[in-house]
Amino acid sequence: MDRETKRQAIHFLVCMAALAVLLLLSRNWLLAFTFGVLLVGSLLINMTMRNSKISLVEWFVGEFEREGVRLPGWGSACLATGVLMLAAYLMSSTDIAAGLVVLGIGDGLSTLVGRRGSRRLPWNQKKTMEGTLAFFLGSLLAWIFIGPLAVLLAAAAALAESLDLGIDDNLVIPVVCAIVLSVL
Amino acid sequence: MDALTTAAMAINSPALTAVSLLLGNDVIFGALILALVLIAERRDGKRLKIMTALVLAVAAGLALKSIYAIDRPCSGAGCPADYSFPSLHAVTAFTLMIAFLDKRSYPFFLFFALFVAFTRLHLGVHTFEDMAAAFPVAVLAYHIVDSRWKNG
Repeated sequence: MDRETKRQAIHFLVCMAALAVLLLLSRNWLLAFTFGVLLVGSLLINMTMRNSKISLVEWFVGEFEREGVRLPGWGSACLATGVLMLAAYLMSSTDIAAGLVVLGIGDGLSTLVGRRGSRRLPWNQKKTMEGTLAFFLGSLLAWIFIGPLAVLLAAAAALAESLDLGIDDNLVIPVVCAIVLSVL
Repeated sequence: MDALTTAAMAINSPALTAVSLLLGNDVIFGALILALVLIAERRDGKRLKIMTALVLAVAAGLALKSIYAIDRPCSGAGCPADYSFPSLHAVTAFTLMIAFLDKRSYPFFLFFALFVAFTRLHLGVHTFEDMAAAFPVAVLAYHIVDSRWKNG
């Protein structure tokens, strides 16, 4: 399994773990857990950047982090922040669950399928039509939680993910989910 | 109300309450933030970047307060008149904290941000939810400013 596949597997598992905390415990537990993880994680990032040798962090970054990221653990920090954003800014558990499906399955699938795709998007040469379609189809699983609204949510999130905004997808997608699900 | 907020409010310490009230004063808190930026960061460019991120974060926080329109957990004298969610004090403190993520001083800023958040809970003017909601605003605001800064 290559690094990107492993990375997406972790991405999927983190979102499904967050979904489990939400459904088995509560929104408050998800808020507290994610907030705690982010604070501890930020301290570990800081220690790693100051050349402290933390074997667990070194292993994690070596196995799962993309090369050339701005900080060690940056991708994981953005994902955790995205989960926190969904938990904080969506008030109902079903809406948060739908957002986690989009973030965990839609975004994960788009990367795995998109990098094997050949047809580039006219508005963003870094991404492919296959990846955007995979994002949309994967995100439709949110139907389980929010019904037909999932089509609109999947379309909006897929469009946002396809744009070259210069901001990490894990932060953009929760913003779009929060807007769509709060407005509609 | 959540257990964390209830626990923070239950602490009976006049000294903690006095410090919390001091930090709760917008002018004093703003001056403290400005002083910390000037003391902890020597480079003018980075100072400007942090201040820009702080302005963006507070503006986003103010907009979110109006959009969500969630009432404070308190009422009466000493209870701020504006909405509760998210906490602007926490947004500011977390943005400052993130700006120093790569610095030796980061643990201090982490402690400072958590202490500021704790004082807001202790005074009963916010809930834990308001604090948790402040963190993503801070990350996003700093990330937007940081990425645009690097791109020229």
